Amino acid sequence: MLSYIIRRMLLLPIILIGVTFLIFCVFSLLSPMERLATYVRDPNTLKSSQSVERLIAKYHLDEPFPLGYINWLERMVHFDLGWSQTANQPVSDAIKQRFPATLELVLYSIIPVILIGIWLGVISAVHHNDMLDQTIRVTAIIGWSLPTFIFGLFVLFIFYGILGWFPPGRLSAWAQDIVYTGHFNSYTHLITIDALLNGNIPIFLDALRHLIAPIITLSYISWAFLLRITRSSMLDTLQKDYIRTARAKGVDEHTVIHLHAKRNALIPVTTIAGMMIIQMMGGVMITETVFSYPGLGFWAAQSAQQLDYGTVISFALLFSTIMVIGNLVVDLSYALIDPRIRLG
Amino acid sequence: MNRILKKLFSNATSLIGIILLFFFIIIAIFAPAITPPLSDDPYQIPRMSWDINPQPPGSPMSDDMKEIYEFLEKEVKWEKAICGTAEGGYDIFYGLIWGTRTAFKIGLITVLLSMLIGVILGSISAYFGGWIDEILMRITDIFLSFPFLVAAMVLTTVLGRGLDKVMIALISFGWMGYARLIRGSILSAKEETYVMAAKALGVNDTKIIWKHLLPNTIFPVMVQATMNIGSMVVTAAALSFLGVGAPVGYADWGQMVSFARNWIIGSSGHAGQYWYAVFYPGIFIVLFVLSWNLIGDTLRDILDPRLRGEL
Amino acid sequence: MKNKKKLLLEIKDLKTHFFTEEGVVKAVDGVDFEVYQGETLGIVGESGCGKSVTAFSILRLLDYPGKTVGGEVNFKGENLLKKTEDEMRKIRGKEIAMIFQEPMTALNPVFTVGFQVSEALMMHFKMSKEEAKKKSVELLKKVGIPIPEQRVNEYPHQLSGGMRQRAMIAMAMSCDPILLIADEPTTALDVTIQAQILDLMMNLLKEFNGSLIMITHDLGVIAEIADRIAIMYAGKVVEYADKKTIFHHPLHPYTLGLLTSIPRLDMEMKRLNVIPGMVPNPLHFPSGCKFNPRCRFTTDRCKKEEPPLIKIEEGHLVKCWNLDKVEKEVKKGFLVGV
Repeated sequence: MLSYIIRRMLLLPIILIGVTFLIFCVFSLLSPMERLATYVRDPNTLKSSQSVERLIAKYHLDEPFPLGYINWLERMVHFDLGWSQTANQPVSDAIKQRFPATLELVLYSIIPVILIGIWLGVISAVHHNDMLDQTIRVTAIIGWSLPTFIFGLFVLFIFYGILGWFPPGRLSAWAQDIVYTGHFNSYTHLITIDALLNGNIPIFLDALRHLIAPIITLSYISWAFLLRITRSSMLDTLQKDYIRTARAKGVDEHTVIHLHAKRNALIPVTTIAGMMIIQMMGGVMITETVFSYPGLGFWAAQSAQQLDYGTVISFALLFSTIMVIGNLVVDLSYALIDPRIRLG
Repeated sequence: MNRILKKLFSNATSLIGIILLFFFIIIAIFAPAITPPLSDDPYQIPRMSWDINPQPPGSPMSDDMKEIYEFLEKEVKWEKAICGTAEGGYDIFYGLIWGTRTAFKIGLITVLLSMLIGVILGSISAYFGGWIDEILMRITDIFLSFPFLVAAMVLTTVLGRGLDKVMIALISFGWMGYARLIRGSILSAKEETYVMAAKALGVNDTKIIWKHLLPNTIFPVMVQATMNIGSMVVTAAALSFLGVGAPVGYADWGQMVSFARNWIIGSSGHAGQYWYAVFYPGIFIVLFVLSWNLIGDTLRDILDPRLRGEL
Repeated sequence: MKNKKKLLLEIKDLKTHFFTEEGVVKAVDGVDFEVYQGETLGIVGESGCGKSVTAFSILRLLDYPGKTVGGEVNFKGENLLKKTEDEMRKIRGKEIAMIFQEPMTALNPVFTVGFQVSEALMMHFKMSKEEAKKKSVELLKKVGIPIPEQRVNEYPHQLSGGMRQRAMIAMAMSCDPILLIADEPTTALDVTIQAQILDLMMNLLKEFNGSLIMITHDLGVIAEIADRIAIMYAGKVVEYADKKTIFHHPLHPYTLGLLTSIPRLDMEMKRLNVIPGMVPNPLHFPSGCKFNPRCRFTTDRCKKEEPPLIKIEEGHLVKCWNLDKVEKEVKKGFLVGV
C-alpha cells in the first residue's frame, strides 16, 4: 500500500503543474490588453499608454511564455487572483464570500445522491429485469436524460411558480436582515448550521426551504448516474464464484446480497462516486443560476456572460485544483477499502 | 451485427428511442421545407415582432415585421407563430425545426472528432506502453481534472460566442473517456494469443492495431459514443443557457431556453404564463437526449454476454 | 459383494435444463447414482458433460436460467427438490458441503480467511464471533496450514493456491457435514499438492464416517479414492458401478473408451487410443443414444432410440443396447491395473 500511496502523491505536483499550465495556455489566448484588464480595478487606468506600459511590465505580460507562466503561477499561489468586474472586489475576496453557500448546497446534496443512488442500484440489480428493476431504470434513464437546467426550471416552476413552497435565493429578506446585520454569529458561514448554533429555528427553516429545490435539482442527475453504476457493479458481483460459495454454506440471501456482494460491488462504485461528487461542481453552476442561489456557481456563470476573464480563469484554477485533490483523496481511499491493495 | 440490430428493434426501450430518433431525423432533413429561412443564414431565427415579452402560441406576425420582410423581398410562408415567440419576438417553431439540425451537427461532429482523438491517443498509449503510455495518461489525467462544464465554459468565454467555438470546447475536453476505454480494452486484448501470433508472424504495429486490436475493442467505445451524443447536445444547451454558447437568435434549443429563465415564473399572479417559451425547446432537448440514451443503454445491455440467457 | 451400508444420497433420473435464448440446453438429462455412508463416489466425464451442474442441482445452487425440471434427490430419505428454500439453507454447509474448483475466485477477496471459515459456524451453530474464530484456527491447523493464528486474519490473496484450497476445505468441513461434494478440487493445483489435498479430504471424512462425491475428469484420481463410480456423458450417467467392476468389467462403450485411452507404460503402444469425434454441442444433441456417433458398436437402433437404464445387478447400472458386444471386447483381454 505504501508504494501505491507514494506513487499517487508524487503524481500530484505533476498534475497540478500540468493543469495550471493548461489554464495558462488558455489564458494566453486572450490579447495582452484583455489579460491586463483582469488585474486592474479601474478600467480608466488603461486609457493612458504610460500606465499601460508600466502595468505590462509589472505583470510580465511581454515576457516569453515560460517566464510568463512562472510569474503568473507565483501570483496565483499567493492568491493574487486579480480583480473581478462582476463582483467589484478582488477575486480572492469574492471567492471567500461566496464559497460557503456553495459548500452548504453541495454537502446537503451528497446525502441523497449516495443514499438513493446506491440503495436503488442494489435493489435494481437484485430484482434484475422484473417490474421493479424496469421502473427504477426508467426513472434513472430519465434522470440522466433530463438536463439539469430543464429539470431545475421545471422544479422552480412547480414548487415556486405554482405552489410557492421553495423560493429561489438563499434566504428571505427578513432572514437576511438578521444574518448579515443583526445578532447572529456566523461560526461556519453555513447558514443552516449557524442557525442551529444560534438557536434560531425560524432562520434554520427558512434557509432549509431555500435549499430544498436546488438540492433536488443538483442531486437528480447524480443519483441516477450512481444508480446505473451500482446496478451494473452489483450484477457483475452477483455472478462471481464466491457468491455461490456463500450460498453453498447456507448463508441467507439477505446476507449474501448486503454483505458478501455489496462489499465487493461498492469498491469500484466508491471511486466513481467520489469523482461524481466533484463533477457536481459543474452542475452547481447551472443549479445556482436557475435558483439565483448566491454561490460560486452563479457568480461563475455571470462572469462568463460578462466576459470577466479574471474571474473565469480563477474559477478554472479553483475547480480544477479541487478536482485534483479530490481525485487523490478518492484514489487513496480506494487503497483503504480494497484489502488487495491495502495489504498488497 | 444483424443480431444487434434485431435486438435493438425488439427491445421496447430501444424501439422507443429509435422511433424518436427517426422523428428528429425527418425534421432535420426536411427543415427547409417545413420552415423556409427568412434570412441569408438559415440558422438565424426570424422575428415575428419586436415584443420583449414572449408571445403565446398562435400569435400573428406584427405588421411592422411584415413590412420589413416585404422590404427585404423575403417571402413569408407562415403568418402565425405556432408555438409562440421567445423574448425579442423570435419564432419558437422555427427555432425548434432548425434547432434539430443544430443538435445533430453538434452531437455528431463533437462525438466523432472527440472519439477519433480519444481512440488514437488511447490505442497508441496502450499498444506501446512504457513512457509513451505514462505521458499520455498523465495528459489525460490533467484534462480530466477539469469538470466538463467548467472547462467548456472557460474555453467558450475566452474564444468567444458561436457554435463552432462551443464545439471546439466540447471536443477539447470530451476525448478522455474514449482514450481510457480503448486503452483498457487494448491492454487486456494485447495479451491475447492472437495478437502474439500476429506479432510472431512479423505483422507491423500499425496493422496490428488497426486490423486486429481495434475491431475487437471498439464496441464499448461505440456504445459510449452513442450515449455521449445526447450529453454533448445537453452540455451545449447548458452553455447556451448560461449565456456563453450560441449567439442570441441562433436556432439552438439551449439558446432558446436561456431567455426563458426570466419568464418561467410569469408575471405576478399569472404563474406559468410563458410556459411555452421553456416547454417547447425543453421537450425537444429532453426527447432528443432520451432517444440516444435509450438506444445506447440497450446497446450496452446487448453487448453484455451474461444477459444472453433470456427466453 | 453387497455391503449393508446405509444409503445416504440417492439420485433418480435427475434432469436440469437451461432455458437460454438460443434454445433449451439439457445439461443434465437423466442422472442416476447412489452414495453410501462412509464411501466415496467418483463422477467422471469430459468437460461439459454436466458433472458440475449435477452437483449444483443437488444443493439447488443453480444460476438463472437453469432449472431442475425432474427427478429425485433423496438425501437421508427425503427429496431435496421438494424442500423449501429455508429448509435447504439449513442443509447447505451443515449437512451437505461443497468445495469448488478455483479457490482464488471461490473465496471472497474482501473478507479474512478466518471470517469465511467462521461464517458457517456462526450461522448454523449460533456460535459467537470469538468462539467461531477459535474453532477456525483449529480447523486451519487441521487442514495443515502453518501458523494458523496468523493466517486466520489474512485475506485470500495473501495465501498460496494450495493453502487457499485447504482453507476452502476447512470452511466446508467446519460444521462436520455428512456429505462433501468436491467439484474438481485439485484440477487447478500442482500435481504434488493434489495428492496432499486428496489425502486431507479423505482423512477428515473418515473421522466421522462422512461421504464424498468427487467430481473430476481425471481417472487417476478416481482410481485412488473412489469406492463407486458414475460415468457421465452428455448429461446422462451412462454407467454406474463400484470401482472394481468399472475397471475390470466395464459394460458401456464410453467407459471402455475412457479406460483404453489411458496411455500405458507396461505395453507397447504405437498410437494413443482416442475416442474418435468430439463431445456433442448441447444445443444439437444427436438423436437416439447421445454417444452413438463416436461409438464403435453403434447400430441402427442406437441412432433412433435412447437406451434405458439397465440394471445388470445390484449396484451396476448401464445405458446401452449393445452390452454383449462390449463384454466380448473386454473378455478379449484387456485389463487396467488397479
